[in-house]
Amino acid sequence: MNTFLLLAILPLLMACLGLFSRSVRWLPWTGAIILLIQLPVAVWICLPAFSGQIISYGGFAIDGMGAAFTIITTLVAAASMFQAALVLPEERLKGHKITDRRFCFFYTLSGAFILAMYAVPLARHIGYLWIAVEATTLMSAPLINYHHSRDSLEATWKYLLLCSVGIAFALFGTVLIFAAQHTSVHSASMMLNELMLRAKDMDPRLLRLGFVFCLLGYGTKAGIFPLHNWLPDAHSEAPSPASAMLSGALLNCVLVAIWRLSQLLSAAGQTELVRHLLVPAGAITVIAASLILVRQRDLKRMLAYSSVEHVGLLTLAIGIGSGQLFILHAFNHSIVKVALFLMAGGILHIYGTKDLRKLGGLLKTSPAWGIVLMAAGFAIVGSPPFGTFISEWLLLRNTFAAGEITAAIALIVGLTITFIAITSHIGRVVFGHERKIAQSPIRLWVYAPVLLLTISLIAGVAVSPRVMHTLMTLSQLRVLP
Amino acid sequence: MNLSQIDLFAAGAAVLAVWMCGVTRVKTQLRGLLLQTTLLAGICVLLSADEHSVHLAILGLVVFLVKALAIPIFLDRCAKRMGIERDSGANINPTLSLMIGCGTLFLGYFLIPSFAVPEMMNQGAAGMALALIFTGMLIIITRRLAISQVIGFLTIENGIFLYSLTQTRHMPILVEMGIVFEVLMGVLIAGVFIFRINRSFEHIDVTDMRGLRH
Repeated sequence: MNTFLLLAILPLLMACLGLFSRSVRWLPWTGAIILLIQLPVAVWICLPAFSGQIISYGGFAIDGMGAAFTIITTLVAAASMFQAALVLPEERLKGHKITDRRFCFFYTLSGAFILAMYAVPLARHIGYLWIAVEATTLMSAPLINYHHSRDSLEATWKYLLLCSVGIAFALFGTVLIFAAQHTSVHSASMMLNELMLRAKDMDPRLLRLGFVFCLLGYGTKAGIFPLHNWLPDAHSEAPSPASAMLSGALLNCVLVAIWRLSQLLSAAGQTELVRHLLVPAGAITVIAASLILVRQRDLKRMLAYSSVEHVGLLTLAIGIGSGQLFILHAFNHSIVKVALFLMAGGILHIYGTKDLRKLGGLLKTSPAWGIVLMAAGFAIVGSPPFGTFISEWLLLRNTFAAGEITAAIALIVGLTITFIAITSHIGRVVFGHERKIAQSPIRLWVYAPVLLLTISLIAGVAVSPRVMHTLMTLSQLRVLP
Repeated sequence: MNLSQIDLFAAGAAVLAVWMCGVTRVKTQLRGLLLQTTLLAGICVLLSADEHSVHLAILGLVVFLVKALAIPIFLDRCAKRMGIERDSGANINPTLSLMIGCGTLFLGYFLIPSFAVPEMMNQGAAGMALALIFTGMLIIITRRLAISQVIGFLTIENGIFLYSLTQTRHMPILVEMGIVFEVLMGVLIAGVFIFRINRSFEHIDVTDMRGLRH
């Protein structure tokens, strides 16, 4: 109980500060400092899970998956809030009409959004899981509409409606899974550990239906093709720190929900169904996203579609039942994607546009920005020294090893197209013709992305069989029935 | 006794939802929603009397107050303040939509064997729950206005609620309350956004929002 309070107290504090403070000057840095303190707090809270100890209270538990994704979420939130402290006040000075009220409200919503995101991987109760996912939708929708432009309103409405309807299907799936227990002698429960215990006695017909509906619902929220329609709009219209949280933290959290249910299905002896649904879904998502990436004209939309592609990879990892790769790739993708989205905010500031055709010559304008953007571009497509390379490589190898040859070939094709598309887009921004700049680049803004990329580099070098073994034990650590 | 009444109420809710497909006046649609949700709250009360469960009675009351009264009244206020009266339908005209709606009733009925829980008494209610879900989707697809899409979403939500009431041995009350709360929050947030859309686009016609289609 105390542990969960400790985890929640700092984001809650930020939410309250945003609600009650009247001064805009110190709020951004307070928010950043709160989240930077939250980072060691979250790591300290999650540490017991790494040594095989589970803390649980009511419908929530810090098990292996929960611990891993709580840390990733906190890291993403801390980086985003740090960057927000730099970017948002500057943006307010330059043109964008943002009232004090809305500015403070951004922090309230961010705090609440982070809390809701914590609740998703920590929930071990399928009802609370659903409530937490729906809460993330409701808390993040106003974040997307921060700029109050026509486009951001349209994106927000699309996000709110499509995700709510999608999530309604997940609710139906949850109810179906709950109803599937009618054949069991035990009284019905929504706790995942109890469900797994009686998984074999459950009505397979309703359980399978329930899983399909949950996949449809949570898949909409995660952006699995063809349910990804809202994602590029929402992720490109939100202010950069919010985009970073949506892409780097929220997508992971929703995929954890799919992971939990896939574990339940496996316990019921339905591994085949999970694999037959998730592996093709993942492979198709990778291919589709890579093809769409070729024709992108907007920097942030390109990054959003790259997120869709990585969601495909993660879905595939869940499909072949590899928890360790799911954690590893989610971590690697998150840090690099957050670095990129935070840099996109800076590039928008420099050029005053995110239209890829009007960006160019970044290396000449500011060598620091140019080099870092290039490195981040290489990192996101999975080039060797970075962590993404290791996880994508291992994923490819495991897909082959699992006998999913078609999916593995699709993966190779998709990753190749993505590599060409993203490197050519980013190459044009870095090396292309020098374009007119609106404002001179601010050196300070590039530090957070540099730090994140360094972490990605370290992750790329540090992954050893021992690390993979630790991740595997971590992914299998859960509350026993 | 009670058990057949439950099926009757469920069928009533589904038929009301189908009728809403053909209605163009937003106010009338909201009345339909009010009646439909009241019927579901009625099922809750019938079940609570049958099983002597206080939880269900409380749930029925909360559902009636929040989903049947507060939400439709809030949406009605929104519509009135924006001066919206009619939703003429987008891709399919309301009459055709009504016909397809009737089809969903049949579809729900035919899907009973694959969705209903065998031990439960109210097999028919499962089909009606499915019909409500389909009809809600139909309303979302065939309507123009943002407010009608919210009504469609609430109809889907009602279908799921009906299913959970009649086909399970009752979900934990905390979860049910959490769902009702989230729906309320969702509608309030959607209401705020509808106002914003109305202010910056000067209409709430979602088919006319196409700035982001690249």
